[in-house]
Amino acid sequence: MSEPIISIRGVHKYFGKVHALCGLDLDIYRGEVVVIVGPSGSGKSTLLRCINRLENYDRGKIVVDGIPLDNARNINAVRRDVGMVFQSFNLFSHLTVLDNLMLAQRVVRKRPSAEAKQTALDLLKKVGIPDKAGAKPAQLSGGQQQRVAIARALAMNPKVMLFDEPTSALDPEMIKEVLEVMLALAAEGMTMAVVSHEMGFTRAAAKRVIFMDEGQILEQASPDVLFSNPQHERTRQFLGKILSH
Amino acid sequence: MLSGSMSTPDRPKIPKEELDHIPGTERSTRIDVWWWLVVLVVGITILLLFAWPDPFMNIFKFVQDGIVITVTVTLVSFLLVLIVGMIGGLGRLSNKRPVYVISTLYVELVRGVPLLVQLIIWYFAVPVMIQSLGKAWNFPSLENFQADPVVMAIIGLVFCYGAYMSEIYRAGIQSIPKGQMEAARSLGMTYFQSMRHVVLPQAVRVILPPIGNEFIALLKDSSLVSVVAVADLTRRGREYASIHFDPIEVWMLVALLYLIMTLFSARVVNWIEKKTKFER
Repeated sequence: MSEPIISIRGVHKYFGKVHALCGLDLDIYRGEVVVIVGPSGSGKSTLLRCINRLENYDRGKIVVDGIPLDNARNINAVRRDVGMVFQSFNLFSHLTVLDNLMLAQRVVRKRPSAEAKQTALDLLKKVGIPDKAGAKPAQLSGGQQQRVAIARALAMNPKVMLFDEPTSALDPEMIKEVLEVMLALAAEGMTMAVVSHEMGFTRAAAKRVIFMDEGQILEQASPDVLFSNPQHERTRQFLGKILSH
Repeated sequence: MLSGSMSTPDRPKIPKEELDHIPGTERSTRIDVWWWLVVLVVGITILLLFAWPDPFMNIFKFVQDGIVITVTVTLVSFLLVLIVGMIGGLGRLSNKRPVYVISTLYVELVRGVPLLVQLIIWYFAVPVMIQSLGKAWNFPSLENFQADPVVMAIIGLVFCYGAYMSEIYRAGIQSIPKGQMEAARSLGMTYFQSMRHVVLPQAVRVILPPIGNEFIALLKDSSLVSVVAVADLTRRGREYASIHFDPIEVWMLVALLYLIMTLFSARVVNWIEKKTKFER
């Protein structure tokens, strides 16, 4: 494969005395869907949040699409091209759905209002809620809010999408509607890094599954290989728990 | 004692309007009753002015330019306080050490000195300081510095109230979930763009009630500027009283005029709060 779009080298992160990431290396390639699994506290979310530097790391190097994350200007440049979806949606609660989708297009991309609006309406259609453009986030269900959040990230035409436990705050019916949007996105060839324990999605879309434990990548393989034949005892234990239901 | 309404067969019929009534809609459909208090105070004042033009109309005519000064000083100061408070509040939340230290010092020191003392310092001490500095450095323009009472009073009010307002802004910004800032930053917005478009608009709605309180407090505290040569409502009242020796009528009318302004402001604040309510 060609150059990786995300390259992580020797990244260390401490929360006080806790060593959250212990010298992590990872490459993610263009068009790849990578799912990161692991027990809570293993550093999955921290790793994901380091990729757009929402979390500062203490040592190491991360390069996204040729831009090293080492100064404020570069960080903002990377964030423009890296969409992020959060567990708690984080829609701007004072703005309508349409304005949520238009704000960053206008402010960051400097798109004219008409163009931003058209992009926003097209994306709302794509995520299946074209009729909610004028609603406030509080009037939407969790699943709808998360789909708006995905659309908001896509409105910036990102090269990479990061998903930080996108379905953990949703009930089963809503999980399905969000996963469908994510599957469609994966099918279009979007580069995605996903922290999630949705095994259905992982089997269907992931090219690679990464198992993390205690701030390190313990093993990685395609979902079929990792799920049927895990190499480490720790991986086996963990997968046993999440695959059993 | 209890008439056992559950078992009584002929229990009184509930009127239709009461059945149609939806709980929680009462306030929005009813005119705010506190407006009547404003009407009452205005009514009493007008009654005094026209039923006993001597002395009340005479007093009113004498102090009316003071009302203009009081309103002007309050409005100008308040607009500046909103700006200073925002800068101070952002400074208190800054992770840049010097910015944090300077804004914290400002807030802590200013809140510890009485407003009256601060006003006196601005009007009586600061100009002398500037003049002697001018003398020392040989700047004739500074040497002949003359303090305008209204300008110095506004500076004093803004400096003091800005400190309190900083804390209100800080609390408001901190009440907005961290995820809002993170989402904005993750889209590539800078810190200031995120503040301007995402965090502050939400924070301002949260702090509207305390901001309204500050406005009314500022309106009342503006009477302190009468001590530093500003001819506001309070000072004009004192001037009239010292000429005509009728303190009861003068201070009654002055108090009523302040009440009209404060009660009216309180209603306006209340109305704005209702207008801008939104669901999280």
